[in-house]
Order: sequence, then structure tokens, then C-alpha cells
Amino acid sequence: MNRRVYLDHNASTPVHPEVLQAMLPYFSERFGNPSSVHGFGREARDGMEAGREQIAAFLKVSKDEIVITSGGTESDNLGIKGVAAARRSGHIITSQIEHHAVLRTVQALEQDGFTATYLPVDGHGMVSPADVRAALRPDTIVVSLMGANSEVGTLQPIREIGRITREAGVPLHVDGVQIFGKVPIDVDAFGIDLLSFSGHKIYGPKGVAGLYIRKGTKMASIQHGGEHERRRRAGTENVAGIVGLGKAVEIRAREMAEEAVRLTALRDRLWDGVRGRVEEVRLNGHPTERLPGTCNLCFRNVESESIVLGLDLKGIGVSAGSACTSGNVEPSYVLVAMGIPLDWAMGSVRSSLGHATSAEDIDYVIESVVPLVAKLRTQSPVGAGRP
Amino acid sequence: MQYSPTLIDHFRNPRNAGVMREPDGVGEEEFTECMDLARFYLRVRDGRVEEARFQAYGCGPTLAACSAGTEIAAGFTLEDLATVPPARIEAAVGGLPPERRHAALVVAGALRAAARDALARNGRR
Repeated sequence: MNRRVYLDHNASTPVHPEVLQAMLPYFSERFGNPSSVHGFGREARDGMEAGREQIAAFLKVSKDEIVITSGGTESDNLGIKGVAAARRSGHIITSQIEHHAVLRTVQALEQDGFTATYLPVDGHGMVSPADVRAALRPDTIVVSLMGANSEVGTLQPIREIGRITREAGVPLHVDGVQIFGKVPIDVDAFGIDLLSFSGHKIYGPKGVAGLYIRKGTKMASIQHGGEHERRRRAGTENVAGIVGLGKAVEIRAREMAEEAVRLTALRDRLWDGVRGRVEEVRLNGHPTERLPGTCNLCFRNVESESIVLGLDLKGIGVSAGSACTSGNVEPSYVLVAMGIPLDWAMGSVRSSLGHATSAEDIDYVIESVVPLVAKLRTQSPVGAGRP
Repeated sequence: MQYSPTLIDHFRNPRNAGVMREPDGVGEEEFTECMDLARFYLRVRDGRVEEARFQAYGCGPTLAACSAGTEIAAGFTLEDLATVPPARIEAAVGGLPPERRHAALVVAGALRAAARDALARNGRR
């Protein structure tokens, strides 16, 4: 039996046992609707509000500024469309490497008459604060940028960008799904007005996420129904999920700093181990300003899905940068925006480390990927294998 | 996505991978939509394929289908190989998910091209 090594934590994480324990009663004895006035409802509401308080305490904000949603995608939609709905027209600034939850939201708003600027990134995947300043217009209604890119892990200079948007009086939305609970976030110091985050990236459950909305931010609801979440997001709350998210946040607050140091060392161990033994491999993303556990590598002239399959057969779960769907493949738009040539970009593989990742796991991955890439290159008609 | 044990075996233990020196026929096919590329080399005796080798760039199913393709090709007459259908390749790897059927297309196309090249070198087409 192969060893099993999960290195896809940027996609999803296992629920922490303490989180599961905290959630369980809210599926059974504390099942009430938190909007109900009776004792069953109050029990559910108390659990839900305790979870909200844990999130607010972590972000050092008021719990009234936290809106619970169904996922990071909904949080991004609510943050951007909510501002747009309140303004009815205007200009949006975002970047070329945002998650589709942001890119497609902005594109949808363009269909409705809004205008948009998609900022470029440098070779490390970083947006320039100067570009943000230059793109601002009198009719700019929101700047939406990710805290860290999920593929390459590059951390954006949010603090500098927040200073610029604050001076301009334009709200800053940060898709914080990949940074929340992984690196310190200070919404005041960073000038963040809206922050999207999600539970299942931080050992919480899927199906629950949140949006921080700074008091005074002009927002309109985009989902209509009841008066939940202070009329900002209608729908009966996922009580057990919110309890779980709160517990997950509490655990991250306790473990985040130490974990970041440990994962950074493991991430670098992976890169050092591969680059010393494989030719024509490159590290994508910023060399230092990068998520602690993210290591995105390009193997030139090797197709990423064949590496993913080969590693899967060794019990290793990583993610391919270029995925072939119905016989159609596009290299990662993130890597393309970073200016990475096609013969490299097609061979990108992302490893995202997490709580259970050990040094032995990393060594096993290195021992597995080195001969795999060599074998695939031997078989290949492109690059070194060309007769 | 589920792959058959046969496909996995061909991916894990590819048969006849690598360049052939002085082949009697060479053919390749590129599936431009996903940039997969398969190249086959044929050794021919008395109008039949004696040995086939491959090189490929692509996803796992394409590499596995190339390996299976070399086993299928051996023993074929060049005329028959020049019309080998993708379904024959797909069957040889125990089936393909719909989103990976291009693996059979690219391999069948490359085998047919190699057979046509061998026929042309022989002055038979």
C-alpha cells in the first residue's frame, strides 16, 4: 500500500476534529431555526452568534460587520455586486489573476453597463500599487483584489494598495479566501473595507463562509427574502456551519503563527529537493512574499496532468495547473498573465501543504516526482526527447 | 475521473517507449485543442508491422493509449493499420471517459500516419 500524502490544501482541508465536535450538537438537539423566538430557536441563535463573535474577534471587528454566506464565491459576489447595486453604475478595478468568483462577477457587471480595468501582474504574480493608483477614476466604485493567489500563492501588497484606495475614498474588497487564517490580516491597517473568507480552507466545514463589511460601506442586498444577517443576506443560516467556522477560526488564531513557520520550511524543503535533482524546473510566484504552504512548480516540456496522474498512483494528491476538459486545454491564465512561456506553463503543478504535512511526506513527494518527470521526458517527443 | 486498470498499467509501465533508429515509417498526430502529440515509429517486414515504438506529450490517458497502440500495431498489415479506428485504441485501454476520448483520436491518427509513411516509402501508395 502506498503512502498517502495530501498536498491540495488550497483546494480544501479536512475538518478539524475539534470543529466537528463543536458542530455535532447543532445537527441534532440544537437544531432550531435561529429566527424562531422559542427556546429551540434561541439555542441555535446563541451558537450561531458565538461563532460570529469568534470570527469578529479574530479580525478585531464588530460582529455586526460579519455577514455569513454559503461560500467564498458568494462572499465575493456579495462584496462586489453589493457595492455595484448600491451605486448602480461606475468603474471597477480588479486584476487579471483573480479567482473566477471575482473575474466572472466583474464580467457580469460589465454586461450590465459597469466598466472595468483588469490590472496586469509582474513575473511574480504581483499587482503594482502604482498601477492601482493610475487606474483609479472619479467614477471608480470598488477595487477588488485577492490577498493571495490560490495557484502560485503570491501575497498582494494589500497594505500599500489599501492606503491608496483609502486616500481616494474608494472601497477595497479583498478576496481573502486564501489568506484568511494563514497570514495575519489587519483590516484597519490594511485599509480593507470588504473581506471575503471561507470555512473549508481553514479546517472548517464546506458550505459556510463570510464577508466582512466595514460599517458605513454602501451596500445593497443581492439576495432577497427574509431579514437575516441584518437584511444583507436573506436565507436561513447554516447554524452548524457557522459554529464550525467559528471554532476553526479560534483554532487558527491559536496555531497560525507557528504553523506558518513550519509550512514555510516544508515548502522550501520541497523546492530545494526538486530543483537539486530535476533539470528545467522553475518555481512560480514570489520567492518570499508567498503563502507559507504553497509551492507551484513548472516542469518544462512535461504535461501537468500526466504528472498529477503519476503522483496519484503513488498516493500523492496535488493539483494540475493546466486541466484538460473535454479535449480542450488552456494553460493557467494566472501563469500566462505572469508571462510564463507556454512550454513551461503547460507543466505546472501546485502543491499546497497543510496541518498534517510532515517532512517525511515532502521527501516522499521528492522521491516520487524526480523519476516520474525523468520518465515522462524520456517518452516525450518535445524538448530533450526530440530525435 | 475513473481510468481502467489496463490504462493505469500502460501509464505506469509503458511498452515500447522511445525513439526507434532507422524506422521504416514515422507518423505523428497533434490534437491541437489540448496540444497532445503522439509520434509512432514502425519497423516493417513483409508488409506487416514487426515492431512499433512511440513518443508522446500529453495527459496520462494519451501516454497510456500510445503504449497500447504499439502493442496493437505489431502484426498489423500496413494497409490495415492505415485505417485503424480510434475505437480500437479505446478498447485496448479498457475504455476512456468522454473528456479523454481525444487520446484514442490522437493515437489512431499517428498510427495511421506512420503506416501511410511506411507505404509511401515502399512505393506502395
